[in-house]
Amino acid sequence: MIAALAYSVCALALVSMAWGLVTAVLDKPPGKAQLLYAAGLEVVVLVQSVIALVRLGAGFRPVELATTIGYLVGIVVLLPVAWFWANSERTRFSGVVLAVAAAAVAAMTFRLLVLWVAR
Amino acid sequence: MSTARDPQPAAPRTSSGPGRALVAVYGLFALAATARGVTQLVTQYAEAPLAYVLSLVAGIVYIVATVTLARGTATSRRVALVAVTVELVGVLTVGTLSLVDPEAFPRATVWSAYGSGYGFVPLVLPVLGLLWLRRTRPQPATSASTSSSSSE
Repeated sequence: MIAALAYSVCALALVSMAWGLVTAVLDKPPGKAQLLYAAGLEVVVLVQSVIALVRLGAGFRPVELATTIGYLVGIVVLLPVAWFWANSERTRFSGVVLAVAAAAVAAMTFRLLVLWVAR
Repeated sequence: MSTARDPQPAAPRTSSGPGRALVAVYGLFALAATARGVTQLVTQYAEAPLAYVLSLVAGIVYIVATVTLARGTATSRRVALVAVTVELVGVLTVGTLSLVDPEAFPRATVWSAYGSGYGFVPLVLPVLGLLWLRRTRPQPATSASTSSSSSE
C-alpha cells in the first residue's frame, strides 16, 4: 500500500459516492460521465491492489496477512458488480447502488492502510 | 432480462426500484461477512470458535437474503422472509450477548454490539428488509382470508 495512492482512492471513491447520491436525489439514472468516472475509479483500485499484492509477493508481511489479501481481492469486484446491477435497471436507485459500492471501496481502502503495518 | 414469471404483475418486484439498492447493500454484507467468517475460521479457529462460526452463519444468511431478494419470485420471497427474520433475531441476540457477556464473544463478528463496527447497518438492514417485503407483497383480494396459492 502506498499512503498517497490509498488516500487518493478514498477521495475519488467519496466523490463517486456523493455523485451517486446526488443523481438519486435529483431522480435521474447515472449519466455517462458518472459511469466513466466509476470505471476510472475501478482502474485506480486495480492498480492499488496489484501493487500491494506484488509487495506481498516480494515478502512484505502485514499484521493480518489473510485479511489483507481478502480485502485486496474483494475490493476489486465491488465496482464491476455494482456497475452491472446499476445498469440492469436504470432508475434513481442505480446511483444509490454505485454509492454503496464506492463507500465500501473507500472504507476498505482505509482499513487496508491501517492493516498495512509490518509484523 | 427478467425470465422469472410473476403471478401478480401489479405488485412491485423485490429487486425493483428501492429494492435495487437494498439488494446492493445485502450483497456487500454477504461478501463482507462470508469473507470475514471464512478467513477467521481458517486462520484462527481456536481463538474464538463460536464467534467465527457465527460470522460465517451471518454471511450465509446474507447470501440467501441477497439472492432471494434479487430473484423476487413467490418462493424466493418466502425464503427471503425467513432469512431476514433470522438476521434480525441474530443481530439482536448476538448484539445483546456481546454487551452483556463479552467473554462469550472475545472476537468481534458483524453482529457484535448490534453491528457498531459496520455503522449499525446490520441492525437497520433486516428492518428495511422486512418493511420492503411487506411493501412488495402481492396484493390479496381480501385482507385476512386469502386462498393460498397452489404452489405450496
